[in-house]
This record gives sequence, structure tokens and C-alpha cells, in this order.
Amino acid sequence: MSCPRALAGPVLDQPLLKLRRRPLRIALVGNPNVGKSVIFGRLTGRYATVSNYPGTTVGVTRGRAMIGAEVCDVIDTPGVYALDGVLTEDEQITRRVLGDGDADLVVQVADARNLRRALMLTWQISGFHKPMVLVLNMVDEARARGVDVDRNRLERELGVPVVETVATEGRGLSELRAALAEARTLRTFPDTGKDHARWAHELAEALRRFRPRALARAQEVLARAVREPLTGLPILAIVLYALYLFVGVFGAQTLVGLLEHGLFQRYLNPAAIALATRFIPVPLVRDFLVGEYGLITMGVTYAIAIVLPVVATFFLMFGWLEDSGYIPRLAIFSDRIFRMMGLNGKAVLPMVLGLGCDTMATMTTRILGTPKERLIAILLLALGIPCSAQLATILGILGGISFAALLTLFAVVLVQMFLVGFLAARVLPGGRSDFILELPPIRLPDARNLLTKTALRIRWYLGEAVPLFLIGTALLFVLDRVGLLGLLIWGARPVVTGLLGLPPATAQVFVMGFLRRDYGAAGLFQMAHAGHLTGVQAVVALTVMTLFVPCVANFLMIIREQGLRAGLSILGFVTVVAVATGAALNHGLKILGVTF
Amino acid sequence: MGSRSSVSRFDRARRLASLPAGSRGVVVKVLRDNVGRAERLAALGVTPGARVRVLQRFPGFVFECDQTELAVEPEVARAILVDVREPHGSGRGTALAVTRRWPY
Repeated sequence: MSCPRALAGPVLDQPLLKLRRRPLRIALVGNPNVGKSVIFGRLTGRYATVSNYPGTTVGVTRGRAMIGAEVCDVIDTPGVYALDGVLTEDEQITRRVLGDGDADLVVQVADARNLRRALMLTWQISGFHKPMVLVLNMVDEARARGVDVDRNRLERELGVPVVETVATEGRGLSELRAALAEARTLRTFPDTGKDHARWAHELAEALRRFRPRALARAQEVLARAVREPLTGLPILAIVLYALYLFVGVFGAQTLVGLLEHGLFQRYLNPAAIALATRFIPVPLVRDFLVGEYGLITMGVTYAIAIVLPVVATFFLMFGWLEDSGYIPRLAIFSDRIFRMMGLNGKAVLPMVLGLGCDTMATMTTRILGTPKERLIAILLLALGIPCSAQLATILGILGGISFAALLTLFAVVLVQMFLVGFLAARVLPGGRSDFILELPPIRLPDARNLLTKTALRIRWYLGEAVPLFLIGTALLFVLDRVGLLGLLIWGARPVVTGLLGLPPATAQVFVMGFLRRDYGAAGLFQMAHAGHLTGVQAVVALTVMTLFVPCVANFLMIIREQGLRAGLSILGFVTVVAVATGAALNHGLKILGVTF
Repeated sequence: MGSRSSVSRFDRARRLASLPAGSRGVVVKVLRDNVGRAERLAALGVTPGARVRVLQRFPGFVFECDQTELAVEPEVARAILVDVREPHGSGRGTALAVTRRWPY
């Protein structure tokens, strides 16, 4: 996009300063995983989560950008495979952005390697009659794979500006800004006789040249190693073991040890207690802050010393895996199993994302094809997938007991998930969609994106979890003072001690667990460290906790996505399954005489 | 492809699911026996004329279409009809990368 043409463009013929009722809205639209969010970040300076797999963006993100002398609204939309025909929920969202007059201008972002697919979408976008610009992103990767696109001819054929970019490096972004001024509707609207696939195919064939590829050989070899069973399964085992070492050992033991025993128990808590005793004369207030259920001694200690280190290490490693393109490839191995559960291999994405945060993953189920699949996935997330914070405490407690204890927990939870999924697939009405998944290229993650993403997620955790930890602590404090806590523990006794064989005080931990599973698990962590739990008790208590609904936030998200009735049904069902499984496990382990 | 009649094209067409790993060909038809399947595949670039290469069959069926790697279930691979090419067959002039043998 050369400047002279931009100056002669239709927009700048008009007065420089234009008064609008609202800012010009620019929608970024394109196939999944082509880099819309990267371009969004470059234009607006706001960070939208960027990963290397389709479906990272769910729902729209809006931001402001200065384009020339104008302030514009930029809308980042979820990636779409199509805008006509049978659409997923995400595609409907994007369609609405284009359709309801929300967007004034469309920037179609395309992967330069996949011109055919991009053009098919171009045709569908042109049906909305909005001025547009076509961005060929990742031209560097396309060239490395031997693909060249004749940009000038493409521009002439389509009659819209075509810009080449490498968005992650910021290359081509100023050209894009200039091109926005001369965005226009598709000139050569394809003749109606041909179907759009044919049109896209012929145009792409005419404008694209393949060279024997020179680079990208390493990518090929890696992609192959990861996907084939003989090498892929050992690689999966290594990845899981590395995850365990980094998060379970380094995070949950080394870092937690340093923070909890070193910093908090030795310095911060004694200091807080000393200060409180000295300056706060009212015992009630003093206890509220530094007592048994004190905001500082319990709430802050749990959030910062026990959970934060594991969450941080997990997010770091998880982000690395996300950006490498590895996670979607797990779908190849899991497709058969998921199909027995009424889902397909695609479901591996929300499930693995659930390990980061079940609430976000509940939203990600939008990438699944049918309502039935979504419901099953949401149910399984609520039931069995421990989120990073909870994984933290599980690893912290059971890692200290034995590896067998850890395996028992995961085996029980996985079997339970499979059974529930298997039954749900047969009981619930509706069908399953085809398993068709695009595998992103294997890449070496970019350190800067990785760090930004991790930092953002840690900040999100601090903003989301810590207030709940404090509210939970305050609630416990009040319950304790009014005497309700004792009543609750007494009331839950038949279940807690009778069925599950746990110490009565565990009841209070389950109350905490309803607010957030990890908060409850952090309570268990302290009980275990104080020596109040045997190995079997720890496994049983954690299994029940893991099978609980993750947290209030997740519960609210389920209601938002599926309605109040489904939400309450899931809550009731999951609670019954959790307690029943715990009881069975407790008695089973006792009969077998396992002690860990 | 241009000079051949559609009848002879279909004679040579085979289901993608039946091809061994490493084989390549050109899509001639995507069966429409399941609602939305052909549309989904088309949106990913699997349309008549697209060049495909089977990468692996087990534990999941993986193939390359154009520059996209796709994992599908066998049922889907059965719905894609492919005209199989000889390794050094007559591709179009632009199809250099397609007629090249792969290192593995």
C-alpha cells in the first residue's frame, strides 16, 4: 500500500477531521489461528490472548486505535471457518458483528499459506457489502514453506487493498494502517454461475506459486514425531513428566516450601500477629485479621504462599505448550475415547484448557459442534478437570505422600469422567459432530508472548482468586463466631466421618471448597501438613474435592452458558457423584488394606 | 484434470480412507451424506481440485490438504473421494512441490 494511492483514496478526499456519531468500527475477521489477535494487539496496544491453536479467542474483544487522525474501535472476533450454512456459536457471534451493522469496515486476516481457504471466506464476507482490506499474514512462514502469492494481481482481481504482514514482528502494520483508508467492497463480485469454492480454487491456483521448499524441514520432522504413536506416546509421557517436575516438584514443593515455611510462617505471619497484638485492642478484630480464620494468616497465606507458586509455574509451562502447537495434536490420540463419550477429539482442547481454568474452558466449549457435545464437555469439566490452582494443592499434598497416591487419584477421576461421559452420551438427546480438526504448525514459542501471557494470567488469578479467598475466610470467621460452623461440622459428620472416613474438621474444608476447589484444597494442604490426615484420608478427601464443582465463578459461568436449570442439575449431579465416589474409594481402599 | 470427462475421473476415484500413508492425490468429490460435513470440509479447503497427501492412518487419520494439516475420524475420510496420482505423474506446472518425493 503505497502512500500516494492512500492520499488519493476516497476517505482522505473528504475533510481531514470528520465528525461521526460514533467511532469507525473495524472488525478483524478470518479463519481460526491466522493471527487476528496479534494484529489486534498491534493496532490497539491492548493484549488479547495469543496462542497457537484455533479457538483462543471466544467472544469479541474491543479496543481503540488511532488510524491516521481518527480514533477507531477495533473488534477482534473469534476465528470462523465459514459464515454461511451450519455455524458454531462462535461463528454466529462473528456473523452478528458483520451483519447487524456493527462493523463499518472489515479487515480479513488470512494465513498467506492458505489462499484458497481465505478466498472462500472473502466471498462470504463480501456478501455483507462492507468495505474491506485483505491481510496476508505470516508471509515469512509461507515463503519458508515455498509458497508465494502474487499480491499485486490479487489486489487487481479483488479490487480491495491486499497487505502482506508478519504481525508478530510488526512488519507490514503501517502498510495496513494506510490501506484502511482505501478499503472498499469487493469489486469483481464473482459471477453467480460458479460456486464460491470453485472461484476461490481457480483464483488461488492462478496467483500462487510453489517452490520446492527449502526450510521448515525441522518443523515437518517434529510434527511427524509428535503425531505418530511410536514416537508420540513416549513424547506425551515425557511432557507429562516434565510438567510434573516443573509444577509438582519445583512449584508445589520447592517454591511453596520457600514461601510458606520460609517467608510466611517465619516472618510475615509472626510480624502481622505481633503488630496486631500491639496496635489492635479489640480481640474480635484482631482474630478477624490474624486468628485461626484470619484474613492474613489464612486467606493471604493460602492465596500467595500455597497456590500462587504452582499457578505461576503451571501457566508458564502451559503457555509454552499452547504456543508450540502441541496441544491440538493430542486430539489425534484421544479421538476414539472421546467418541465413546459422545464427543470427538476436538474436546481435548477445552479439557486441557480446563487444567488452566475451568471457568474459561467452559466458555471454550463453544468450539464444539452440537449442544449435546457442549453440555457433556461442560459437565465433565465441572466434574473431573482440576484447575491449575487445585492441581497445585493436589501435587503439594500427594507429592509429599507417594506417587501411588497421586496415580490413584488421577485414575479414579479419569475413570469416573469416562463413565459419566459414556452414560451421558447415551442418556442425553442430540448428536455428535464430525471430528475435523486443523492442526496448527509446530513452532518455537516466542518468549515475549509467553511472558506477557503468563504475567497476564497470574494477574488475573490474583484479581480473581484472592478476593474469593478473602471472602471465604471472612465467611468462615463469621460462621465460626456465630457457632454455625460447629453445627455444620456436626451436621456433615455422618457423611464426612461415616461415609468418607475423614476427620470431622474436613467438613469446613468442603465448605471452603464450594467457594473455590483450590481454596478447599489449600485447607486440606494445611491439615495434611499438620499431620491430621492419613494417606488414605488425603486421597479420599482430594478425590471428593476434585469431583466437586470447581468454584462459584465456574458455577455462574455454567448458568450463563446453559441456563439455571442445567446449572443446578449439574451441581446436584456432580455433588452426588463426588460423595458416592469418595465413599466407594474409602471402603475399597480399606478392604484392600492400602495405606500409601 | 481439465480434458478428462467427469465419468472417467470417478472411475479412478478412491476413498481417502482407503489410501496408505504417503499417497497423494487430488480431491474429486466430497460426499454429502452427512449434514454439514461437506461444508465443514470445504471451509478447510477440502474441495474438488485440492491436493491432498495422507500423513498417517493410526491412531487417527491425518492428511495434508494444501498447506493445512487436518486430523479427521475415519468416517470423514471415507466421504472424501480422491483421484490418486502416480508419484511422478503429470501435475500442473505450478505443482512442483506436489510431485516432489518427501524425505520420508
